[in-house]
Amino acid sequence: MASRPPGMERQPGGCGIAGCIDVRGGKISGDTIAKMITTMGERENGLGAGYVGYGIFPDRRDEYCLQFLFDNEDAKTRTEEFLKDNVYITGDERVYTRKVSTLDPPYPLVWRFFAIAKEKLDWPRGPIFDPDDRIVELAMQINTEVDGAFCVSSGKDMAVFKGCGYSHEIAEFFDISRYEGSMWLSHSRFPTNSPGWWAGAHPISILDWSVCHNGEITSYGVNKKLVEMEGYKCSLLTDTEVIIYIWDMLVRRHGLPIPTAAFAMAPWYYPLIEGMDEKSKKLATWLRIVYKEAFLNGPFSILVGRREPETTMIAMADRKKLRPLIAGTSEKKDVIFAASEECAIRAVDTKAWTWTADAGSPVIAQRGKGLIRSGLEHPFKGVME
Amino acid sequence: MIDEELCINCGKCAKECSFGALDFKEKKVRYQGGCVACGRCMSFCPTSAIMVNDVPNIFPHHPWFTERDRRAIAAQARSGGVLLSSCGTDLPYRSIYDDLLLDAAQVTNPSIDPLREPIETRTYLGRRSGKLCIEKRGKKYELVSGDGAIVSMDMPIMIGHISLGSVSYNTQKALFTAAEHLNIVAGSGEGGLHPDFFNFAHRINSEVASGRFGVTPEYLKRVAAVEIKIGQGAKPGHGGHLPGEKVTEMISQTRMIPEGTDALSPYPHHDIYSIEDLQQLISVLKEATDYQMPVGVKVAAVHNIGAIASGIVRAGADFMTIDGFRGGTGSAPRVIRDHAGIPIEVAIATVDQKLTEEGLRNKVTLCASGSVRSSADMIKIIALGADVASVCTAAMVAMGCRVCQHCHMGICAWGIATQKVELASRLDPKIAAMSVVNLFRAWNEELREVLGAMGIDSVESLVGNRDRLRYVGPNPKMAEVMDVKHVGEGWG
Repeated sequence: MASRPPGMERQPGGCGIAGCIDVRGGKISGDTIAKMITTMGERENGLGAGYVGYGIFPDRRDEYCLQFLFDNEDAKTRTEEFLKDNVYITGDERVYTRKVSTLDPPYPLVWRFFAIAKEKLDWPRGPIFDPDDRIVELAMQINTEVDGAFCVSSGKDMAVFKGCGYSHEIAEFFDISRYEGSMWLSHSRFPTNSPGWWAGAHPISILDWSVCHNGEITSYGVNKKLVEMEGYKCSLLTDTEVIIYIWDMLVRRHGLPIPTAAFAMAPWYYPLIEGMDEKSKKLATWLRIVYKEAFLNGPFSILVGRREPETTMIAMADRKKLRPLIAGTSEKKDVIFAASEECAIRAVDTKAWTWTADAGSPVIAQRGKGLIRSGLEHPFKGVME
Repeated sequence: MIDEELCINCGKCAKECSFGALDFKEKKVRYQGGCVACGRCMSFCPTSAIMVNDVPNIFPHHPWFTERDRRAIAAQARSGGVLLSSCGTDLPYRSIYDDLLLDAAQVTNPSIDPLREPIETRTYLGRRSGKLCIEKRGKKYELVSGDGAIVSMDMPIMIGHISLGSVSYNTQKALFTAAEHLNIVAGSGEGGLHPDFFNFAHRINSEVASGRFGVTPEYLKRVAAVEIKIGQGAKPGHGGHLPGEKVTEMISQTRMIPEGTDALSPYPHHDIYSIEDLQQLISVLKEATDYQMPVGVKVAAVHNIGAIASGIVRAGADFMTIDGFRGGTGSAPRVIRDHAGIPIEVAIATVDQKLTEEGLRNKVTLCASGSVRSSADMIKIIALGADVASVCTAAMVAMGCRVCQHCHMGICAWGIATQKVELASRLDPKIAAMSVVNLFRAWNEELREVLGAMGIDSVESLVGNRDRLRYVGPNPKMAEVMDVKHVGEGWG
């Protein structure tokens, strides 16, 4: 459940993804996302599904929510002790779960801690001052060091609900309908092998980032080296985990604008770059040179969620568009959707307007700003142009 | 073996044989020993009367004192000297390349057809910052830093360092022409650059070796990249040796040394006795070239190569060439060539791991050299961790070299490793250049085929992607050292 099965290193497979965000500040019920993902029944085989909700703890907006899967009480006790040493715990609670008749036990113990980071973290490699970096480090430390414990999400005002089962079973297990959020992402898995590891299901999340991923990254070995060089620990060893670290590294640590980071992961071909204006050409070329290890090769479509600086949903496919992805907006343009299949959007909004973005080009929707990119623009629109 | 019935006694074979193995007297050809099996006579016999066969063992069979050993003993008993040889070692060490198998995409990810979809092989040589700095200026962003001196190549292949001196004018001209044609980079070797070749300078990686032959700021400023040569795979710990017979007027002018003298480059650089000294020379060269071109360091693959490589990157090298123990040479003591250094496969895999551990791998371009025989070797060395495969011997073979291992004698029958005008004129630089162009184009096509089969559409996603290799050899420890999984091991 929370601990990685012995010998397990990487799980490839196919999947379904779906997401929605209310860009005008309204709330979306957990039911909506559950309906979206469960509609695409052919894209899963009961070996993993999950949800991530943003804006679900409006009363504790500024506290980190560390949500855990524990194999047993002992793992929880050890984690709690470790946390007490390194953060101020402001509250904790058992996450509501219920028995699902079709889901075989054992179920993990799901627990969440609300916390505020301490002023600094004295770490063997030296003190870490940035509070976000401290939380990343702590989550990674627990995931690699504490047996039977796994931190599935660690951002503010958000949490991940995932497990081993069909998407409808996981929705029922966590009673996802009890939550209301400004943004939801979800995932259903069709793995080609799976030892039934709850923590290995998607979304994969670190800090306020979360990723739902359909695909197989053929450049995994290269991408892994890059994030390890930056100090990330690959504890899940899925290609999805690598994707989230690359987003965090490029956008949060290196300060790249989102479309620029997306270009590094799914760059244009050189002949197309040759045709760009001089400034864009220079940027594109240097992105390809400097971040060549960030290039995600192979088929994928991903949904990426982020809370800082404002709740944002990013949807993109690989540069050959080998995996499906469709975007949509509601008639009033207040809700933006993205999913593997159109049926997921139609299931919750029959009047939605839908389109497919260009290969490798991100669709970006942000709370307060609406649809920032439809995925049909020049890669550096709003950055260089 | 000469077929008497077919032979028309024209004497062409004896004329072609630069090793004096054939004698033509009284309209009769006779073999008088000393054949190196270069095959020149066979190729030029108008009636195909000659067959060069392996001469049967004239020594009584003995599994321990082989014929090779006994010949060496006899030679040293005669001369009392160090045995010289050329090309890479001919001892039958196990090939690690041949113990590695490549992955291919099936079901869970699609393979890509290179005839229908673009698959990119562009490769850059030089330093990378590891981080682009993009800042908001007003409403728009601007690229603030990240630039560096970098050279673009159309394929992950470099022609290695083959100096004018060790090879003929025509040979080097052919190599440079090929590099220009392919839009790749070719090494100058340590002999400086002949003024005739200055128009190729933008495709040349200039070697700064311990002899500093021909190295001037004027010359350095013209080239694409500069590389400090610390060592060579065929003779780690050794300097260069160009026998005096090869130092003709042309060579003397290019190298700036007197005609007919041995061109000996010292074993170490006499201004580099430590890593700090290397750092200084790197800085000096960067200053001398106004930071306009990447400065690299070439070292032989030796036991502690991981730590050495890490030091070189920290000293400021923009790129680094690791030369494996099978690497070729125009002349080297046989004992060093055959017994020193480590295989390039292991060296590259360990260097790639070490640099990754230390967070340095994305700062430097890693080139691998040392007898890459085929596109398969090139693909495997890239997957083991190299950005670029540097190739010499295969390019020479493409021109006609038969790897007879007698370059040091300077009487190459094919006109490649010689300065004798009558022999050098045997090589047509245009035809030789096209042969090299064809070879590397073919390799690059094969690379694209393999990338497509792996579901990868750009070569950078293969660099150090050891996940896509499996070890099939007899020694699991080897797989462990290289961080390659054994066949049968999946991903999970």
